[in-house]
Amino acid sequence: MLLFKELMWFFKQEKKSYGMGIFFLIGVALINLFPPYVVRVIVDGVSQENLNQGVLIKWSLLLIGAGLTAYGLRYIWRLLIFGASSRLGRLLRKQLFDHFTRLSPQFYQKHRTGDLMAHATNDIQAIEMTAGMGVLTFVDSVTTGSLVVFSMSFFISWKLTLITLLPMPFMAWATSSYGTMLHKRFHKAQAAFSELNDKVLENISGVRVVKAFGREETEKEAFRTLSADVVEKNIAVAKVDALFDPTIQLIIGISFFLAIAFGAKDVVDGRLSFGQLTQFTIYLGQFIWPMLAFGWLFNILERGRASYDRVSALLKVKQEIREQEGAMDRVPSGQVAYEKASFAYPGTQRLIFKTMYVEVIQGQTLGIVGKTGSGKTTFFRLLLREFDLSEGDIRIGGISIYNLRLGALRKAIGYVPQDHFLFSTTIAENIAFGKPEATLEEIQAVANIAAIHEDILQFPDKYGTLVGDRGVTLSGGQKQRISIARALLLQPEILILDDSLSAVDAKTEKAILKALKEKRAQKTTLISSHRLSAIEHADLIVVLQDGQITERGSHAELMAIEGWYASTYRSQQLESLIEEGGA
Amino acid sequence: MVIRRLLIYLRPHSKALSVALVVLFLATFADVVGPILVKIFLDRHLMPRSFDFTDLLLLGSGYLGLHLLSVGLNYYQLVSFNQIALKVIQQLRVDVFSHVQRLALVVFDKTPAGALVSRITNDTEAIKELFVGVLATIVQNVVFLIGIFIAMFSLDVRLATFCLVLLPILLGLMYTYRRLSTKVYRTMRKELSFLNAKLNESIQGMNIVQAMRQEERFRKEFNVINMAYYRAAISNIRLESLFVRPAVDLIYTFALVLVLDFFGFQSLNGPIQIGVLYAFINYLDRFFEPVNMMMQRLSQIQQSLVAAERVFEILDDDRTVPMPVSAALAPSIVKGQIEFKEVSFSYDGSSDGGSDVLKKVSFIAYPGQTVALVGHTGSGKSTVANLLMRFYPVTSGEILIDGTPLSEFSEDELRGRVGLVAQDPFLFAGDITKNIALSRSNVSKKDVEDAASFVQANEFLRKLPQGLAEPLGERGGTLSSGQRQLLCFARTMAGKPKILVLDEATASVDTETEEAIQTALEKMRKGRTTIAIAHRLSTIQDADLILVLHNGMIVERGTHTELLVNEGLYQKMFMMQQGTGV
Ligand SMILES: Nc1ncnc2c1ncn2[C@@H]1O[C@H](COP(=O)(O)OP(=O)(O)O)[C@@H](O)[C@H]1O
Ligand SMILES: Nc1ncnc2c1ncn2[C@@H]1O[C@H](COP(=O)(O)OP(=O)(O)O)[C@@H](O)[C@H]1O
Ligand SMILES: [Mg+2]
Ligand SMILES: [Mg+2]
Repeated sequence: MLLFKELMWFFKQEKKSYGMGIFFLIGVALINLFPPYVVRVIVDGVSQENLNQGVLIKWSLLLIGAGLTAYGLRYIWRLLIFGASSRLGRLLRKQLFDHFTRLSPQFYQKHRTGDLMAHATNDIQAIEMTAGMGVLTFVDSVTTGSLVVFSMSFFISWKLTLITLLPMPFMAWATSSYGTMLHKRFHKAQAAFSELNDKVLENISGVRVVKAFGREETEKEAFRTLSADVVEKNIAVAKVDALFDPTIQLIIGISFFLAIAFGAKDVVDGRLSFGQLTQFTIYLGQFIWPMLAFGWLFNILERGRASYDRVSALLKVKQEIREQEGAMDRVPSGQVAYEKASFAYPGTQRLIFKTMYVEVIQGQTLGIVGKTGSGKTTFFRLLLREFDLSEGDIRIGGISIYNLRLGALRKAIGYVPQDHFLFSTTIAENIAFGKPEATLEEIQAVANIAAIHEDILQFPDKYGTLVGDRGVTLSGGQKQRISIARALLLQPEILILDDSLSAVDAKTEKAILKALKEKRAQKTTLISSHRLSAIEHADLIVVLQDGQITERGSHAELMAIEGWYASTYRSQQLESLIEEGGA
Repeated sequence: MVIRRLLIYLRPHSKALSVALVVLFLATFADVVGPILVKIFLDRHLMPRSFDFTDLLLLGSGYLGLHLLSVGLNYYQLVSFNQIALKVIQQLRVDVFSHVQRLALVVFDKTPAGALVSRITNDTEAIKELFVGVLATIVQNVVFLIGIFIAMFSLDVRLATFCLVLLPILLGLMYTYRRLSTKVYRTMRKELSFLNAKLNESIQGMNIVQAMRQEERFRKEFNVINMAYYRAAISNIRLESLFVRPAVDLIYTFALVLVLDFFGFQSLNGPIQIGVLYAFINYLDRFFEPVNMMMQRLSQIQQSLVAAERVFEILDDDRTVPMPVSAALAPSIVKGQIEFKEVSFSYDGSSDGGSDVLKKVSFIAYPGQTVALVGHTGSGKSTVANLLMRFYPVTSGEILIDGTPLSEFSEDELRGRVGLVAQDPFLFAGDITKNIALSRSNVSKKDVEDAASFVQANEFLRKLPQGLAEPLGERGGTLSSGQRQLLCFARTMAGKPKILVLDEATASVDTETEEAIQTALEKMRKGRTTIAIAHRLSTIQDADLILVLHNGMIVERGTHTELLVNEGLYQKMFMMQQGTGV
């Protein structure tokens, strides 16, 4: 019943559907009392031989009318109640998805995709069940149950009724304690399903690795273990699940026994007629269904609650990245400055940045270099507010990015991530990702800057080529350049290229950099790269190391310092020179 | 057809199933006997007021005993059916999953991962109901029905015939519902898989969605699918309400009217037997009880069957990786010589040559050599690696390892000997050791450590609180791209492959680390054939053979010095990288 309370907001929202639905449901229950009455009238008529054609036709028509009305009402209440429950599913799925779109990478590091997917499908299904079948069985068992109890006590004997109902509290206690057990076990079963879902997703996403290493058998074994776990958890559910019906059957059997034993005594004592006792047992027979329904109701409710717990736990996850009250809705522009920036990834100790200062003048290009894992990507993610600084501030044009609406901040930035991710649609739609209304000319223009236009024209479907999940059907460099085009289309104030030229050849790299320089005069560009040729012409180059900026300056200045930059630059040059010398 | 295949899955459980069915019948039987005992008590004892104590005790304890028995049996029966159902579903799941493991990569290129997941987990889950409740209900009620018909035939042939006439009507109703709802359920399951695909893609690409401020659009797009799913659900509720329970009740009412009118009009002409009328009505009720029970399950059956259809579709997908013809001969890779003989290939499988990604590629890598592939992106370098890994079958031409066609090696041999470091690093959730070892029996803890230091990962591993035991998130999300790449490299090295394929294996790694790895590789070149794909030409200069790919063709070949003298594409690329320009 707890879940009904928790879902009250929805029932209120769907007042009309549920109200009318339940009204019609009860209407049908009442209409159902009519056919037995007609049967009695006609049987009486036949036996008393006072039937005539008119009466017969009249009752037949009435019966048909009642049947048709019931048909109509049944149709309507189903549509109302089950329709509402489907809407609950739809609504929860929408809420969940909307919530997902607001959560930051921190959340996605903790929750795995397959698990999240299972919440939105498998769990919501169980909740839908509560809002439809659950409500129906509730109403049905309460109305028919009370009708029967009412008839028993009113028409026959309230004392006998009371005696017969004696075992009921035990039933209530039993079903509710089964419910508690079921709740826990179902929760575990759903979690096991989630895990299985996740395993399958991971296996399919990593299919190339699985195949390259011939890991199919281990994967199957792992899957078998997980699916066996699902079976085990579900058998645990079934063991409780299967208790409901037999328990109710037991209680009803005892009630029957009590009814007959005490009823017989009443008959002997002359307090009850024999016919009344028979009638009583018939009523008791009619009591079976509402009782079973009652048990079933508990069952559905607990399953629903277990799943609702899981879903609402997700819905309750707070956004880590939030807009401040009164945040400005202004697209920032100007100098980008990291001031006393310190940062450690949530839940870790190691500071990726320790009170770091960097300033990039508007329109200039910043090159970030450093060893693998030195924090180049993190530097960009902080600007995008994928994560927030632990201390210090980042300002654009003097305004703290934390005082900006997220949308406004991100509007200023075009991001080409290091791990290029394309969506499984056409190339054109991928390029136009951030600006779906872009024309083909615009798309082609940026594709040209990103030096991918020619490549695209070579595909049979040109810009209409489908790229598959994550862009699997493209080569690495093609994916990278499409991501670049995607960011360029936005004509952002600040362009971030995170090692985005690693998979393109030197000629293309050069062409892209040249085009960027021309098209993006007056706009800020932030580039990180391992190949120093990509940043050598930057206005400012910083070297990241152990959370600090160890070197900063232009190419010439850094070469003069003779530090990490100079030695790396030389070694990149040297290698080739040696070879050339050998030539 | 689908039903037959599903029933085949019950075969291994036939014993448990028979026991469960017998128990079900016993329980039902005990259930039916109870009221008879009550009737005996009422007729023989209460009516004539003859209360013999032992008789009463016998009756009472008989009643309670039978009842308890029935309760116990019912519990057993319910649990057994569930167990059987769950095991059947598990087997089905394992079968689909195993089959998916055998599918060729083309299938994965074309099917969204989320949609595949939907079939392996959600669709199989939807079949479960069929075995949990439906099977028992149907068997039980069909038996009831037969019993009722026997009773009716022995009572009154007219009555039985009348009810027999109702059967085709009911079957017609079922048929109509089945036909209409199959379509709706198909839509529903399909939308569910779209939903899964969308969820998967959105969640994985969420940082891009957010960076590009497309949250609103994605919400809308998701909602479109969500709506479509909802609409299918509503259509189904409609169909179910029109054709199932309410319709059966309506037919019942009509049947009742027919019976009443039949006897009513007859009685106008002369007296009829009230008893027969009573029996008619009574049995009509009883007849509809099992019918209703079964009809109630109809939509579950439908849903299960449609889901099963989708599962079997995957099981029937024959785009599997071809198994080597003669497993008995099982050639092995000893020397590690690779030969491409006029290999042409297109991803869409067409052999007209128009869409060929590789065109007549021929080269030989002798044992111990390093062959480098260079060329603009998209020229087909990774494709060469893909073919050597037997990810896709060649369209024409032949690939030989040690003189034996690639297709003849067993999976184990090929995967054990040929190691690939792919361009896109992929890590599994789990700790780093597990990711490097991949539970290969021939990879020891020491191998893992050696591999990690080989790829220069020690430095960053030291900084992790748990080192090699550090758990990684999905796809290794808590590491930098370069670090992920290093771990993937280590994973391949840990297997000590005879043939090593490096597809831009260090593209996201800094020069220092890259050089160190290069030096380490150098030392281990003996006895290992290497195919190296790289952009940074500096990393491949000492290759024994450099192949320059252009639009899928090898346009130049030779050593670094030879190629520089050639003044071809390679020289241009090289100059470009030196920053000297052309
Ligand atoms: N989400 C995360 N949680 C915890 N640590 C992280 C996370 N992402 C990256 N790191 C760690 O932060 C450091 C810097 O990573 P990153 O900025 O990606 O480096 P890079 O300079 O190679 O781009 C690395 O040591 C990495 O392991
Ligand atoms: N799985 C695939 N399905 C269809 N086309 C593909 C697939 N993988 C690559 N391609 C296409 O084949 C061509 C060669 O790609 P690839 O071998 O990855 O190039 P690269 O030389 O950059 O490694 C590209 O045009 C790419 O779009
Ligand atoms: Mg990085
Ligand atoms: Mg490639």
